[in-house]
Amino acid sequence: MTEDVIASRARALAGALAEGGFARLRVRDGETEIELRRAPRTAPPLPAPAAAEPERAAPRADVITSDVVGVVRQLRPPVAEGVELDADRDLAYVETLGIRNPVRSRGAGRVTQVFVTDGQPVEYGQPLFAIER
Amino acid sequence: MFKKVLIANRGEIALRINRACHELGVSTVAVFSDADRQSLHVRHADEAFCIGPGPVMRSYLNIPNIISAALISGCDAIHPGYGFLAENARFAEIAADHGLTFIGPKPSVIGAMGDKATAKRLMREAGVPTTPGSDIVASVDEARAVAEKIGYPVLLKATAGGGGKGMREVPSEAELPTAFATAQAEAEASFKDGRMYVEKLIVNPRHIEVQVLADEHGGVVHLGERDCSVQKPSHQKLIEEAPAPALDQAVRDRLHKVAVDATRAVGYTNAGTLEFLVSGDDVFFMEMNTRIQVEHPVSELVYGVDLVKEQIRVAAGETLGFTQDDLHPHGHAIEVRVNAEDPSNNFAPAAGTLTSVVFAGGPGIRVDTHVYGGAMVPPFYDSMLAKIIAVGRTRESAILRMERALSETRIEGVRTTIDFCRELLGDPEFRAGGIGVGWLPAVLARRAQLV
Repeated sequence: MTEDVIASRARALAGALAEGGFARLRVRDGETEIELRRAPRTAPPLPAPAAAEPERAAPRADVITSDVVGVVRQLRPPVAEGVELDADRDLAYVETLGIRNPVRSRGAGRVTQVFVTDGQPVEYGQPLFAIER
Repeated sequence: MFKKVLIANRGEIALRINRACHELGVSTVAVFSDADRQSLHVRHADEAFCIGPGPVMRSYLNIPNIISAALISGCDAIHPGYGFLAENARFAEIAADHGLTFIGPKPSVIGAMGDKATAKRLMREAGVPTTPGSDIVASVDEARAVAEKIGYPVLLKATAGGGGKGMREVPSEAELPTAFATAQAEAEASFKDGRMYVEKLIVNPRHIEVQVLADEHGGVVHLGERDCSVQKPSHQKLIEEAPAPALDQAVRDRLHKVAVDATRAVGYTNAGTLEFLVSGDDVFFMEMNTRIQVEHPVSELVYGVDLVKEQIRVAAGETLGFTQDDLHPHGHAIEVRVNAEDPSNNFAPAAGTLTSVVFAGGPGIRVDTHVYGGAMVPPFYDSMLAKIIAVGRTRESAILRMERALSETRIEGVRTTIDFCRELLGDPEFRAGGIGVGWLPAVLARRAQLV
């Protein structure tokens, strides 16, 4: 194999390495062996002390967060920004291991923000909806 | 080999597992509670999921959220570390049901070893010496009959027990009825399982445990023993070392052989530890821990084997890359647990901000820790901040290195066990080697009298 061919193969493999999420990839073809390694991760910076929360402007908005780790399932039709809620209503579900956990509005109000889309994975505490009371 | 592993733990062991994964070219997913958002294990992992608020029942023990995080992020395996869900057979089963490899032994083996009376019976059947005693006793009368046969003092133990709960020392027959009633009630309350058994109380034994490693193809090796006899009155280990000092070679060989035989007999796979009580030339099986242990680094340093990497390799179906004949111990290693605790106040745990943190370095020193200057110690979890491990050609050189390392280490903001452990290392009885588990409580009692 010429150097040009090796270089072009290595480039193609580098793409596969990044795409596949591997840290190391070794390919043998006859007498040529190409081994690629992803550069070691550099140490992350130390966390900065938490900044003070900026004061929120009135009117008061409640942020509804996820109680579980799972995947967002929107209602049909989905609850969109601007929807008025007359009481405690379902806003969406978060599905965890096949169980649908309802996300409730916890009272009346107007949905001012939808932070998530259908099928999106969410963690505990992740903002889902903002509701102006 | 796995592509991505979820680390179902926090603190230093989460970092330890992360390191092993990255060295193997495996991606990692950390899970964390609200209280651990700034923790180093979160920062070093490739991905991270918040799984709940600070209290462990809602985060690090929250099985649905942990499994869900593993599935969402496309993991193919879960490493449980130690504590939390590491010895929960149900968790291992649920993981398997969702197509995730649990990095540990089979759920049935975790279950069998987790039930102390079952574990003891299986070990006895495998020819492992166990403390004289009984299977489950149905009543205080049955307990009395057993106690008379084996002789007082005896130990009443809950089969589901752990951490000293549901356990009573009974010096004589007079104390038996009350001890039985209170221990059983405690076990009912703590474990919803009041089944009790009786065994002979071994007075001031040494706690010596054997590290084993087994693959899924019949390969079984031991990595020698660790002496963990320096224990707080709560039975928590404080200083561990390998090999066990001042131990007769015949006893040492017997421990190793028994451990390997037992590992084979119960069909054990992955890393595990058999804990023994040693009294003179007598050895008695106590329990088997079906996980990696806090003190695993002392064995790693003496044997030159990365136990966490081997756990991952074995779980991925690989064979052990070595046999017993390939393993040769070198030198001596000792570990000190640096806890956020006040040794002068019954080891009361402390929480708060670590204003300054400087660890030791230099030849023969390893520090496994998750803390840094400015880090918060949340009140919800184990108080261990770091493990300092020293290795040397001899026990004496390892201890001297440890004393030097402890003198270099500065942790400000909370009280720690650093200075206390340094004093213990200088104690002539400890230096001589061979102390029993009653040694540290006796040292503490002497100090209390002096005050």
